[in-house]
Amino acid sequence: MITIEDLTATAGPASIPAHILRGVSLRLEQGRILGVVGESGSGKSTLALALLRLLPGITLGGRITMDGIDLLALSESAMADWRGRQIAMIFQDPATALNPLFTVGTQLTDVLRRRSPGLGRRAARAEAAAALRRVEIADPAARLGAYPHQLSGGMRQRVLIAMALAAEPVLLLADEPTTALDATVEAGIMELFQRLRTEFHGSILFISHQLGLVAQLCDEIAVMYAGAVLEHGPAAALCRAPKHPYTAALIACELEADDGPIATIPGDVPGPSETPPGCLFAARCALAEPRCHTEQQPLRALEWQVACWKAV
Amino acid sequence: MIALSGVSARYGAVRVLEDVTLTVPARSVTGLVGESGSGKSTLLRVIAGLMRPITGQVEVAGTEARGLSFRRRVQMLLQDASGSLSPRMTVRRLLAEPGLIHGLPPPPGDLVARLGLTGLLDRYPHQLSGGQARRVAVARVFHLAPALLLADEPTAGLDVSVQGEVLNLLMEQHRAGLTILIASHNLNVIRRISGQVVVMYLGEIVETAATAALFAAPAHPYSAALLSANPAIDPARRRPRLTLSGDIPSVIAPPSGCRFHTRCFQAQPRCRSEHPALRPLTDARSVRCHFPMMPA
Repeated sequence: MITIEDLTATAGPASIPAHILRGVSLRLEQGRILGVVGESGSGKSTLALALLRLLPGITLGGRITMDGIDLLALSESAMADWRGRQIAMIFQDPATALNPLFTVGTQLTDVLRRRSPGLGRRAARAEAAAALRRVEIADPAARLGAYPHQLSGGMRQRVLIAMALAAEPVLLLADEPTTALDATVEAGIMELFQRLRTEFHGSILFISHQLGLVAQLCDEIAVMYAGAVLEHGPAAALCRAPKHPYTAALIACELEADDGPIATIPGDVPGPSETPPGCLFAARCALAEPRCHTEQQPLRALEWQVACWKAV
Repeated sequence: MIALSGVSARYGAVRVLEDVTLTVPARSVTGLVGESGSGKSTLLRVIAGLMRPITGQVEVAGTEARGLSFRRRVQMLLQDASGSLSPRMTVRRLLAEPGLIHGLPPPPGDLVARLGLTGLLDRYPHQLSGGQARRVAVARVFHLAPALLLADEPTAGLDVSVQGEVLNLLMEQHRAGLTILIASHNLNVIRRISGQVVVMYLGEIVETAATAALFAAPAHPYSAALLSANPAIDPARRRPRLTLSGDIPSVIAPPSGCRFHTRCFQAQPRCRSEHPALRPLTDARSVRCHFPMMPA
């Protein structure tokens, strides 16, 4: 199990600090998929990078606990050992995440031999081919000799997923893994994730701006806004009857209904250096009352977690 | 408003648009869907007169695609809104520029205010968010009161909370008589605002249909796969997944026969050898498939 408690990410000088994460608390059970949705500036990608401690120049606060170990307290070299082993990441753009100078086989066996230093070349090769087969790449033995540029976008993303899984991580981070892909190719990758949930025993943190994707794949959803989690609950129930006005507005904006007015959320997200005295969403909330502008709204435990005093 | 017949176009030796025949009635909203390499952007460029087809007839807005009056009547919203604005001009100058070219005064204050640009007049494009840049581009287009708008992914890269703003502006002008041809990968957007849809694959039109009819029952297997790939929040709206094998082939070497046969889940031997024609299925629907998914 992975526990994130009051995680903050702060940049800039102390006189005008930029709050990129404003105290995020989440809990990820083993074998579950947590979807993190949010618009630009919500801090969802920062959250993933914070879990890897890959945010130079940004000060992290709070606690990230995995297997009883506080990641934020680890030394840099100990953390380097966790990265890619206990926590693996799949990035948005598969074209730039692979090294163009090495074959797929070399990059994959590197991961395998780092995980199991005693693994021989031939055995690593065989395991690499098996890893490609698991992500449904046809003719895996031949593909090991391919360079990234010889593969299509969808195939590259499958290779990256294979590499991430080859490390047998406890936590898999996927940051918009299908955004760079075409719709029908994306559908294939989503099916692969769907299948992974039965084969992969670690947890998955799936980040996306597309609520529809997250709703179809994930067990739970956390909705982020301006660096904070506004709602966190079971995916199906949260989508059916969202409790936070922001979540409800976001669902309306996806335009799934056949007709009705085209929904928008007027106004702008508060910037990282602004800290409104009340609810982060109050300035854009259609239901805001005076109290919303003066009182901060921490997550409250209702049927699930909601950061709104009006939610029931 | 638009009548294309047998239009083909190419970049160098690569034929990116093949035998496109299409009618867009005046005052309609037509959606254009398809994935990379489908030819959506090229089609818009041909209609805008920015690219000359190698064969076929193009009739747009009843005039020849040249001269200032055509340029004013046919406007384009480009996918990369920030990139379409000169980095050296302030918003004020950017808004005045189309008027200067066409001999019009700068846009009236109410248009500027409606688009929420009043406070941004002294900014440069790099100081604008994606949504703001998009609104500047929209203001430039609407100031010229065009008859036809070619919108290439006008909501791509925008957060969903602001995409509706752009769509509402387009629809408002549509109600005032504007004809819109909109390319988008967002099927929810296409479904909500368009009356007819054109589905493209590897440079060809594979299906055209009234929007409601297409979403109710796609006739081309590619349309069906594309619709089934659209993720839905509401479980009742999820379609059974029609998985396509592999990736989209390159337009440089399109497959023989039906261009879709390499990925089609119902391909027959005939599909590999014989190229299907786009043929009418019902009044409002045409499909390029030997074995359409609904009875003829």
